[in-house]
Amino acid sequence: MTMRSSVRDAMLAAVPSLRAFAISLCGNVDRADDLVQETLLRAMANIDSFQPGTNMSAWLFTILRNLFRSEYRKRRREVEDTDGSYAETLKSHPEQHSRVEFEEFRVALGKLPQDQREALILVGASGFSYEEAAAICECAVGTIKSRVNRARTRLAELLSIDGTDDFGPDQSTRAILSAGGQS
Amino acid sequence: MQTDAHIRKVGGRLSREDQRRLGDILQRVYDDVVRQGVPDRFKDLLNELDDHDGEDEPSKAHGDPERDDRRDHLVKAFPHNKGSS
Repeated sequence: MTMRSSVRDAMLAAVPSLRAFAISLCGNVDRADDLVQETLLRAMANIDSFQPGTNMSAWLFTILRNLFRSEYRKRRREVEDTDGSYAETLKSHPEQHSRVEFEEFRVALGKLPQDQREALILVGASGFSYEEAAAICECAVGTIKSRVNRARTRLAELLSIDGTDDFGPDQSTRAILSAGGQS
Repeated sequence: MQTDAHIRKVGGRLSREDQRRLGDILQRVYDDVVRQGVPDRFKDLLNELDDHDGEDEPSKAHGDPERDDRRDHLVKAFPHNKGSS
């Protein structure tokens, strides 16, 4: 019983970050939660393949990423349809700094190529090292570094686009960027 | 005002300051989801798996060497996860 609880606790501890990663990947909270659920089921079914002493969180991220990619191949079109549901999750969190900030940033993030987006999130937000991110994405460390750099550059370009197209008023973009500089 | 022009680099690399700004935003967006914690859905799911493995198979609860092996393995696999946050 004790070790059951330990496994469960380790998985539970990873869930918040796993969800954030999943939402960043698919931009849709409901789909993200389904992905997390599938990941946990898959992990429990394959717990024997978990290597003792390694990072449970990294293992779960790897499973989730693989599930997402195989699903993405099947439903390529649906992935682009991300409107609306992200607002759902924001409603449940009244203390956020600015809904505009989240929305615009999310849209920009969604425009990055998938490889770049996941690399940026793993290293820049989930707190994994370049080496861990490389293991999760099954590629070389140098590849991760270059993806992260390209993601940052592209994101900066997207966020500083003049506000006539998809991005709304220019002030919103400025607000995002200047908010980032004040903390 | 200057931020807009400042952060834009056409074909160049971002300055450290710009990288930090982007990083801060990304972290905030991400952490906002993290702070929502674990939805009940996942707590229920993992508790359910617990119950299934522990109690729903009384015929296998005793004298199943394969199962005992598996438990030993799990104990060894997660010696320090107990009580981790």
